[in-house]
Amino acid sequence: MTTGTLTRFKLDAATKAADLHHRAVIQRNITTYDVAVARGKARFSDWSNARSRAAAIKWEAINHLDRYLEQFECNVLANGGCVCWAETAADARDYILGLAKRHGVQKIVKSKSMTTEEIHLNQTLEGEGIRVIETDLGEYICQLRGEPPYHIVTPVMHLTKADIARTFQEKLGTPLTESAEELTMIARARLRHEFMAADMGITGANFAVADTGMVAITENEGNARLSFSLPRVHVAVVGIEKLIPRLEDLALLWPLLSTSGTGQAVTVYNSLVGGPRQSPETLGPEEFHVVLLDNGRTRLLADVEQRDALHCIRCGACLNICPVYRNIGGHAYGTTYQGPIGSVITPHLRDERDWSHLPYASSLCGACTDVCPVRIDLHHHLLHNRRNAVQHKFDSTGQSLLFRAWLWTMQSPPRYAVAGKAARLALRLGIAQKFLRPWTANRELPKAPAQSFKDYWRRHERGS
Amino acid sequence: MNAARENILTRVRTALRSESRHPPPATDASVFPPVLNSEVRFKEEFVALTGEVVQNLGQFLKGFTRIATDGNPLVQELVGAGNAGIRDADLGVTGCDCLVAQTGSVIVSTHSAGDRALSVLPPTHLIIAHRSQIVPDLDAAIMWLRERYRGHWPSALSLITGPSRTADIEKILVMGAHGPKRIAVYFVD
Amino acid sequence: MRVALFIPCFVDQLFPNVAIAMTKVLSRLNLDMYYPPEQTCCGQPAFNTGYWDEARSLAKRYCEIFADADAIICPSGSCTAMVRNFYPELLGREELCTSKTYEFSEFLVRKLRVTDVGAQFPARVTYHDACHALRELRLKDEPRQLLRNVRGLELVEMDQAETCCGFGGTFSVKFPMISGAMDDAKVAAIEKTKAQYVVSSDSSCLMQIDGYLRRQNLPIKTISLAEVLAAT
Repeated sequence: MTTGTLTRFKLDAATKAADLHHRAVIQRNITTYDVAVARGKARFSDWSNARSRAAAIKWEAINHLDRYLEQFECNVLANGGCVCWAETAADARDYILGLAKRHGVQKIVKSKSMTTEEIHLNQTLEGEGIRVIETDLGEYICQLRGEPPYHIVTPVMHLTKADIARTFQEKLGTPLTESAEELTMIARARLRHEFMAADMGITGANFAVADTGMVAITENEGNARLSFSLPRVHVAVVGIEKLIPRLEDLALLWPLLSTSGTGQAVTVYNSLVGGPRQSPETLGPEEFHVVLLDNGRTRLLADVEQRDALHCIRCGACLNICPVYRNIGGHAYGTTYQGPIGSVITPHLRDERDWSHLPYASSLCGACTDVCPVRIDLHHHLLHNRRNAVQHKFDSTGQSLLFRAWLWTMQSPPRYAVAGKAARLALRLGIAQKFLRPWTANRELPKAPAQSFKDYWRRHERGS
Repeated sequence: MNAARENILTRVRTALRSESRHPPPATDASVFPPVLNSEVRFKEEFVALTGEVVQNLGQFLKGFTRIATDGNPLVQELVGAGNAGIRDADLGVTGCDCLVAQTGSVIVSTHSAGDRALSVLPPTHLIIAHRSQIVPDLDAAIMWLRERYRGHWPSALSLITGPSRTADIEKILVMGAHGPKRIAVYFVD
Repeated sequence: MRVALFIPCFVDQLFPNVAIAMTKVLSRLNLDMYYPPEQTCCGQPAFNTGYWDEARSLAKRYCEIFADADAIICPSGSCTAMVRNFYPELLGREELCTSKTYEFSEFLVRKLRVTDVGAQFPARVTYHDACHALRELRLKDEPRQLLRNVRGLELVEMDQAETCCGFGGTFSVKFPMISGAMDDAKVAAIEKTKAQYVVSSDSSCLMQIDGYLRRQNLPIKTISLAEVLAAT
């Protein structure tokens, strides 16, 4: 585990963990979220039941994925849409680029989609001279700053109004303001022009409904609706795990996603797109394309222990509750998907060796598993990933030897007793402090007791 | 691309030959408290989202100079054809499929509310509906849609719940991020 | 009932008073105790770091040592969770001894239905929910019920009592900066309560918190639930 990704992670995480301003910004943001979510959950008669039902819906979809994918495709085609099956990120990018070229596309408006972040779509399109404009307010700010989203739901959680005002001043030449409303209106006006002139709209999808062949898109701002209403071509990039069996499932999944994502009963716009425009529509895309993306998801599907990680509806709840995320923030992970879910799935979706450190960057507190609205066994999967890393020999030789020596000690009570005595002596002599340097850098070690419990009990038993 | 399709489906089928270690959770108990009075609940929820329930249509329309409408007969009868295109209207008037009491939402589609952009581009959106279009909850709304369309779906539908908003900046709520800043409903009966 | 004592390695070596306190409370309740001296470690450090083969060999050892016990009592939620929740997965089967292993407060409240052990501890205390006791064993109210019945004790809740202290075993050594930031936030929440003592079911959390408190020269002390319940 001495890869560059680990070194960078340690450095970035340490920097952020020591940044008290950062901690305060995140804390304030998440406190507001917590209050809203508590209110949102109160709208359910039984939140725990809602989670179980949602997990059952996703279980059904994921464990019969072949059937639902085929049904979905069949319905999209019947509705007049096109389906592209993309095995890799490159396949998806090539398809979209080809489409853009075929239609002479010069400008693309995009609504928030982590799946397109995952496949680094913007870089490819921009490299071919096509202008790509992120239209979700948070994503727009990220794009202006040249940063990846900080959080899968709240892309600029780490920024204050003042930070954003400075970015706008620098990039757009607008006067500084302390008003979130003014900043939003600046973006609205700018982006309105972009919508009017765009040739292609690219969205993600929160769900893909098999029995109607429609993609479901959840948002608050209206930028996704504009993206699939105005341009000539609409492309929806969809991970294959987004399938759900029936339209009826949304009666639960829409409120569940909003509640866990932002605390709203449902978000402002929950749209279903089933194809290109039909007569008598005069506006709207002439073509509708769904890109079904694998990009490692079938590898996760084949893992019977962690298959349920594909239930994820990307609500961000596990990030918000995670004490590690709260202290190091989203960028330190260096991944598209941050927080506990990111540390579970990234080693499966990308190079396992490069990302095998992420499952270790957790205290295994289990708060993520408790909040997950689709009951993914998140913190246990972090344990599974750690075991996989050791099995695949991604651990250091030193650590491996240490645990072998440790086992040898623990298998024998006399050896254990000697080791314990040595440890207590090392504590008393102040040697342990140096051995446990990272831990003792900001903490005092406990005082060494004179005897172990085992010693005490032996004497106690003899005495009584 | 057909090879990709076969490859993905083959990988999926091979993966699914082994059973998941997590059995499906079994539960079918209800998740939401029942909605008792749909009309009252709809209005409560809609108003809480800053939606306006219009009492006097004529008065309300006087506040706008450029009005765009859809082909919905109810809208044509009460508001007429409008005098502006979607792109420069200050008010978009549409019909809707149904209204959802549980969440104070309105469902619009390319069948019930005209072009996709009409209910999202103009800064104010007015929905004209019958009270009988209010359904208790999302379950009922989806059932309503199924019966209405019987497999011949509109190309796009949206469940609209309040005016467009964002809280991307410091979680401060701002209305009218990209879509309408105001949303209103007028019941004809 | 004859109960076996399972004293985790770091409690045995570093915090024997916690185990001694537990035996005092158990003997006050007239329980017949025995301590299998061959016991060492449950295997959790290896298991959590990914060395499941090493952990498995210690799990088998544990099951042999505790095979005959009616109940096995442990002064740590974390080690109890290791045995009860993770041994079945590690060993590929349920063993009798795994389901009979209890965390101390869990054993008192759920099994013996005792919530008052006749303790006296006149101080203002706050309770830190140790993650594994809380989320693996679902112990939330049990330790608090016991504390509320301690004479003279005033229990005050801290903000985010359920948030991790940042220990996490090897995590705190591998990622000391993250662990340290979590510790810092936890201590700030504790300070706000103006409590004299922080109590918890797990000595590992208390070691993490105590180490930070002492380095910062803060007057707050840490004490295990067992020691509070043993005080008269």
